[in-house]
Amino acid sequence: MKRRDFFKQASLASTALFLPKFVSGFNLIDSAVATGKKLVIIQLSGGNDGLNTVVPFRNDIYYKKRTSLAQQKSNLIEITDEIGFHESLIAHSNLYNNGELCVINNVGYPNPNRSHFRATDIWHTGSDANEYLQSGWIGRYLDVTKSKSLDALEVDDSLSLLLKGELTDGIATKNPQLFFRTTHDPYFKNVVSHYDDAHLSEHNLGYLYKTMVTATSSAKYIYETSKTYTTKTSYPKNEFSNQLKQVAQFINSGLQTKVYYTSLGGFDTHANQINKQKRLLKIYDGAMAAFIKDLKAQDTFKDTLVLTFSEFGRRVQQNAANGTDHGTANQVFLIGNQLKKQGFYNPMADLSNLDNNGDLKYDVDFREIYTSVLNNWLEVDAKKVLSKSFTGLNIV
Amino acid sequence: MTLQEIVHLYNRVGFGISPSKAKELQSQSRAKIVAQLFEASRNPAPLEIDLSELRTTLRGVKMKERKKIRALFKESAKKIHELNKTWLYKLSDTEQLLVEKMTLFWANHFVCDDKNIVHFQQYQNTLRKHALGNFKDFVIAISKEATMMKYLNTRQNKKQKPNENFARELMELFTLGRDRYSEKDIKEAARAFTGWNHDLMGNFLLHRRRHDYGEKTFLGKTGNFNGEDIIEIILQQKQCAQFVCEKIYRYFVNDQLNATHVNEMITVFYKEYDIGKLMRFVLTSDWFYDTKNIGTKIKSPIEFLIGMHRVVPMQFEKERELIYLQKLLGQHLLFPPNVAGWKGGRSWINPNTMMLRLRLPSVLLAKGEIALDEKGEFEDDFQRFNNKRNRQRKLHVTADWKVFLSNHVNNTAQELQETLIVSPLNRGTKEYLEKLAGQDLPQYCIQLMSLPEYQLC
Repeated sequence: MKRRDFFKQASLASTALFLPKFVSGFNLIDSAVATGKKLVIIQLSGGNDGLNTVVPFRNDIYYKKRTSLAQQKSNLIEITDEIGFHESLIAHSNLYNNGELCVINNVGYPNPNRSHFRATDIWHTGSDANEYLQSGWIGRYLDVTKSKSLDALEVDDSLSLLLKGELTDGIATKNPQLFFRTTHDPYFKNVVSHYDDAHLSEHNLGYLYKTMVTATSSAKYIYETSKTYTTKTSYPKNEFSNQLKQVAQFINSGLQTKVYYTSLGGFDTHANQINKQKRLLKIYDGAMAAFIKDLKAQDTFKDTLVLTFSEFGRRVQQNAANGTDHGTANQVFLIGNQLKKQGFYNPMADLSNLDNNGDLKYDVDFREIYTSVLNNWLEVDAKKVLSKSFTGLNIV
Repeated sequence: MTLQEIVHLYNRVGFGISPSKAKELQSQSRAKIVAQLFEASRNPAPLEIDLSELRTTLRGVKMKERKKIRALFKESAKKIHELNKTWLYKLSDTEQLLVEKMTLFWANHFVCDDKNIVHFQQYQNTLRKHALGNFKDFVIAISKEATMMKYLNTRQNKKQKPNENFARELMELFTLGRDRYSEKDIKEAARAFTGWNHDLMGNFLLHRRRHDYGEKTFLGKTGNFNGEDIIEIILQQKQCAQFVCEKIYRYFVNDQLNATHVNEMITVFYKEYDIGKLMRFVLTSDWFYDTKNIGTKIKSPIEFLIGMHRVVPMQFEKERELIYLQKLLGQHLLFPPNVAGWKGGRSWINPNTMMLRLRLPSVLLAKGEIALDEKGEFEDDFQRFNNKRNRQRKLHVTADWKVFLSNHVNNTAQELQETLIVSPLNRGTKEYLEKLAGQDLPQYCIQLMSLPEYQLC
């Protein structure tokens, strides 16, 4: 028996000891899926300027509309004859060259919303622009697959809409040790252990106790499993790198969790964009480089797909403060070594055909990407999760 | 009334009751206690913060003065947080329980948000004014609020180019519920609300040139209807009474509807639409006090926080922490998630919020520690967003145990438990609590509040 398997079994046994009877039939761990595919979702929060991230350096309109912000060819990492990556995206250009990156350009949806909150909700829920859903697409993935809370983890202290289902919610934790300590306070242990199942069943009180047991036993499982792995990869010293390091630790320790979510914020660059975006993309790219190296060292990269999005792109025309305002469509990055489509999935946005606001008109609906990821990577019927039918793209 | 019935009533129309107050009420009849609740709520005190300075600047400002307007917006956004705090403290010491609880209910029915504090404060008090009044007057008044007209785009609704947003939500969310009308009805109703607008200070005005005075056919009726006529026609549908009664039943009585009870409510409510009369009927009916309705509702985060605060008053030194706390628990007053409001019930509870709720009494009242890093705001710059550390921290809260002790000087642990916990206690937990009952009362109080049972009311 491997060390980490031993721990898993041991922790299960000790958890079961103090479980009340009514939850003992409730299996926390699905041993069958422990080696399955992993999805890591990253949000560049605040609205990353996609046009300065993947740059059409031969496009005159681009230079005309971005008089002080346009990236010069000499500053870019040249990818094709017409397209360059932002100078910070060193790891991404290597991934591109290795066939481990797929760039989907101009992703959006009809009647785009330009509020951070609303646009984030739309991306998290997979709704139409005029539809208000109360659950996220990952949360509904948990529902449809009858998965457990710990099958979707957010590396943060509170849970985003993305991971909230109709029946099951994912779990948020930034620090498994802390989470474990909080949930294993002697008082809770006592409360849980003194419980019997006389009047529970479907009653709200039963629901509360079940949720409490889910939290305590998940915290224990996450902590005890993840501490069996210590990375040898060195990560840059910043919070976002720590979060990806945490995700790598979860994956490499063999945690059963299937979906991870984390975000990097600060992309709302209304003023003095150049330096801010450069620094942020460097943090994003550097963390990703270490993360992938870490996964490759443990041979877990082959089972991992990374999806990076931002709630919207930014206006084509720059503003007077050397920044950009909220826009619409943007690129999505997919990273993995099982990609069916490598490099660019589709051409860059047409800058000569903008909407009334001077924003991009999208080419690919973001839910086409969700559909492919659900159907082909997570192997669940996307229609059941999204409640709408999309054909999907041939990308994974 | 029995002690349990009194506690139940006060949990539902307020935020709990102290053992001594409950004991004092025990000799009185149900009708009398309910009558007193109504009497106390007769002239609702407005929710107000000082806006005199902002109002003066607002009157003087011209649309061209962009810088001034931007500064005004910033100031206004800050004031919304002040209004949030003032509302929370109002809930913790108000005697006007019923009208304040109704206001919370209506704020999650006529859902809005607004960055303009002058408009938003006025909106909050329109909710109070009509909370126990006539539902028709209420719908008309709320539809004419600047906050509502902005939130649902009534302002952009012109004869030349109608905007259907308000007409749709009026029917779907405020009065009839989904699929009780056709798309054609929405279009016709939208025409009747064309030209509705407001001035800078938030007063209603009608742009005659933008209003469509033509004939409309709506829900089977034809005429030159205006907005008020449309609301009148909607309220003639019994479905409207049903929709509102069901929502009130779910909020005040039980997540699970009982058709017989709801039908009794509809008989009282339709056609007068007197909200006060409806509530009096609910609160004096026998079924409201059925054991299956007691201790079965999951407290909203606000009910949970205010409930604790009313037992042990807390002072938050840092406004920001009070805001995080509301966000982490999932209900930040004045900042609803979307036009449909908070879903309530079980959706309040997930593994994270559950653990937070169980930890919170010791964090707030006994200086316990908690991992409470705030999610970054979109507008935050990178430094603030990323300056989050993985550690426990203490909140800057002072709990006033003196008030608790003087309020409970004659109470036993058992009496405290009977007012704090109404959900049936399981045998194992009961035995466990008996072992703890020898502790001092503050300690015991914290432990009661840390039970899953305390999450129910």
